[in-house]
Amino acid sequence: MLAESQYQPAGDPLDRGELTVGTPIDANSSPEIAEKLASSSAVQKNSLDEYVHFQRRIFFATIVVSAIAVSISFFWFPISTSSSLLIGALCGVLYLRLLARSVGKLGKSSKTVSKIQLVIPVLLVLGVSKLPQLDLLPSLLGFLLYKPSLILQVMLESSNQEESKH
Amino acid sequence: MDSITTAASVVAAGLAVGLGAIGPGIGQGSAAQGAVEGIARQPEAEGKIRGTLLLSFAFMESLTIYGLVVALVLLFANPFAG
Repeated sequence: MLAESQYQPAGDPLDRGELTVGTPIDANSSPEIAEKLASSSAVQKNSLDEYVHFQRRIFFATIVVSAIAVSISFFWFPISTSSSLLIGALCGVLYLRLLARSVGKLGKSSKTVSKIQLVIPVLLVLGVSKLPQLDLLPSLLGFLLYKPSLILQVMLESSNQEESKH
Repeated sequence: MDSITTAASVVAAGLAVGLGAIGPGIGQGSAAQGAVEGIARQPEAEGKIRGTLLLSFAFMESLTIYGLVVALVLLFANPFAG
């Protein structure tokens, strides 16, 4: 015990598990550090811009697919079916918007992905079941129209990446 | 709607939401953990990581939505209600 308390290990303090805090780095004092910080923040901003562009492409694809599906249903099905499909597609776009916003907030202002977007299908099913003018099945199909647009968008992006590699 | 059908519908609705949310919940948690770790390691790839996370969340959460829709249909637009 006495020998152990007297023992002082030599060498690097980090090897002994000790954490030494040095003097804080002032970005204004060194132009190289300030330049590195500015370049890293610019890279991060470009990366976030990429996410915003990705969101826009997804919304555009969803709106295009929904418009095509609703316009086809106006010719083939009665007006109640196509209006239900339209309402479901609008709810799907809103759901995707809320999901993208909660994913954008993840790690910055919130630690978990919020579940507020799940209110949209609940309200859709409740509203459709209460209103006799609307049908349940077309509205659910319209709500799920965001999935084919997402698959389409991913396939287009992967094909573009393969073309750019070749 | 008789009482047995009502009781069975309520139990089935609870099971649909409860069991249907287990898998996507675990998957979303692990996906979010991986994404946040990836962003912390590579901040320059944040946009791509968030885009991939959005896609995976959209596909994972649809499983929860299926269970939710089945539960709501059983509760508010029950096809077995005579």
